[in-house]
Amino acid sequence: MRQEISIWFFCGVLLLSYGLVIFVEGIWELFHPLANPPVLYNLHAAIWWGAFLWISGLTYTLKFRPRRS
Amino acid sequence: MDRLIGFSNLLAAVPTAHQLTHLNGVDILIIVIYFAIVIFIGFYLKGASTTSEEFFMAGREMTAWIAGLSFVSANLGSLELMGWAAAAYQYGILATHWYWIGAIPAMLFLGIVMMPFYYISKTHSVPGYLHLRYGEGARALSAITFAAMTVLMSGINMYSMALVMKVVLGWDLNFSIWVSSVTVAAYVALGGLRSAIYNEVLQFILIWVGALLVPILGLIEVGGWNNLKAQIVTNLGRTDYVHLWSTLGHFSSNPMGVHWTGIVFGLGFVVSFGYWTTDFLVVQRVLSADNIRSARLAPIIGAAFKMAVPFIVILPGLLAITVLPFHLVGESVAVATGQHSYNEALPLMLVRYCSPGLLGLGVTALIAGFMSGMAGNVSAFSTVWTYDIYGAFLNRKATDKHYVAMGRWSTLVGVMISIGTAYLVQNAPSIMDYVQALFSFFIAPLFGTVILGMLWKRATKQAGFWGLLAGTLTSIGLWAWVRLDPSALRYVALSPDAKDMAENMYRALWAWIACVIVTVVISYMTAPRPVEELEGLVYGVSPLPEEHDEHWYQRPVVWAGVVFGLFIVLNVIFW
Repeated sequence: MRQEISIWFFCGVLLLSYGLVIFVEGIWELFHPLANPPVLYNLHAAIWWGAFLWISGLTYTLKFRPRRS
Repeated sequence: MDRLIGFSNLLAAVPTAHQLTHLNGVDILIIVIYFAIVIFIGFYLKGASTTSEEFFMAGREMTAWIAGLSFVSANLGSLELMGWAAAAYQYGILATHWYWIGAIPAMLFLGIVMMPFYYISKTHSVPGYLHLRYGEGARALSAITFAAMTVLMSGINMYSMALVMKVVLGWDLNFSIWVSSVTVAAYVALGGLRSAIYNEVLQFILIWVGALLVPILGLIEVGGWNNLKAQIVTNLGRTDYVHLWSTLGHFSSNPMGVHWTGIVFGLGFVVSFGYWTTDFLVVQRVLSADNIRSARLAPIIGAAFKMAVPFIVILPGLLAITVLPFHLVGESVAVATGQHSYNEALPLMLVRYCSPGLLGLGVTALIAGFMSGMAGNVSAFSTVWTYDIYGAFLNRKATDKHYVAMGRWSTLVGVMISIGTAYLVQNAPSIMDYVQALFSFFIAPLFGTVILGMLWKRATKQAGFWGLLAGTLTSIGLWAWVRLDPSALRYVALSPDAKDMAENMYRALWAWIACVIVTVVISYMTAPRPVEELEGLVYGVSPLPEEHDEHWYQRPVVWAGVVFGLFIVLNVIFW
């Protein structure tokens, strides 16, 4: 029997997905810079913010993943 | 507590509104992922919401953290975010008062003093508490006004949000209205309050991760907080934009046109306590807690996070003053000249710093904020309609299954009324101002009625009803007086220099005082209720259940003290 999925698991999955998408987009932009970049584009916020979201999401996804009771 | 600056003017101009930016494929993917998870949660929780206790009260199984985050998230709508960022641009750091003194003391008071009575009375709603304490009259008045105003406000917020999406992204109004409202209707009707709360927690996290980059990158750009303050003073040639309290000695010495007495007694006491302790939209979240300790801790946790919100709302507004290469203007000027308006401060800052992906995250945060606010409105409407109107006056003896079905249907009906209101506002923009004013009429007197009911056992049934009615009529009367004769402002707000916000605060204060005076006078003129009937409803009449914490630092009152201490320190720092 499975227990109810925790809300924190859903939060983890969401952050994990967003982190992955944004991080990959940031890496892509390293090799294909934008024609009209935003301010402070040189800081590559997409890479470090994406990585932060991905790590946070992974942590929550693993910690609160549904287990059999 | 939504703050919209002249949105009704924007309504008139929507067909010619310009588009700030556009989203690419990655941004769309971010938004699609969000909608997929939200809908999945609704379907997943459908099976866990089969009884009325589960559907309307989330089974009273929420932990303190979930109830607390949901409590603050239900208030953190996207219009709240954009409206207060706009207010920060227009009035400076004074806008922070609505997040600190305008919220924190009331939230802590709810957790420490009021929550035990709401919780042990086992009421399903605030009108339900009024029923137990004062009888059917006060309940009917409160329930009908709350239900009507909630769905109307929801519709206005819906239309305003669709309008923002049109201005920022060029999205079609109908598309925004129908996609967002059908999604909210689906997950709330399926999973009830539990689904609304789950999504509110998700949306709270999303709002933070979507909006946090703006102040971080903004502070990097301007070179830190001290440089930001110096640049604001240089740009504007005045120092009153960066002080919280030191400019409140006179109505004319600060950009908001308020006096400290209005901020402390009007906003900090009546408006704030009225909203955070008696508005069922937020109180419902805390009532879903799994025990009395969680119910007391939830508002305290919410207060801690509420105190941090100015970092993602007020700070971007202040940053916009210094980093944007143009000046923002009021809606009417923006409409006439094609310039950007105050309300675009936050979206403009998102566009300034966010590349593809991050921009999608920021836009999703705005959508999530809107949806959490709307879900809060319709779930509260559904509960009050089913328990306090339908179940109380129209069909008292239905089965539990019938009430759950009514809850699902009333959720859908609530959303449909909201959509209808949205289209009504599209054709008659002035309705928005009237409905927002109407909503404010009921909050302050309701707080007077509830707090007297909880703390004073002598308050009688008749006094509860007439006090609530007198306070409401006082508020309406003062509002109409100033509309008919603008010079009356000197009497209502105590100064001819007072502006709209000061008028709102003082009107709330007078309405509350009228409610309290009438309640007290009529109580002494009528027979008191027997003490045994007040058990579990009034302070001092019944012992509260003891809470057994292993350590002193686990007590809710200790954490309330920590949050309050931090609140004092922050106010002194930004004095």
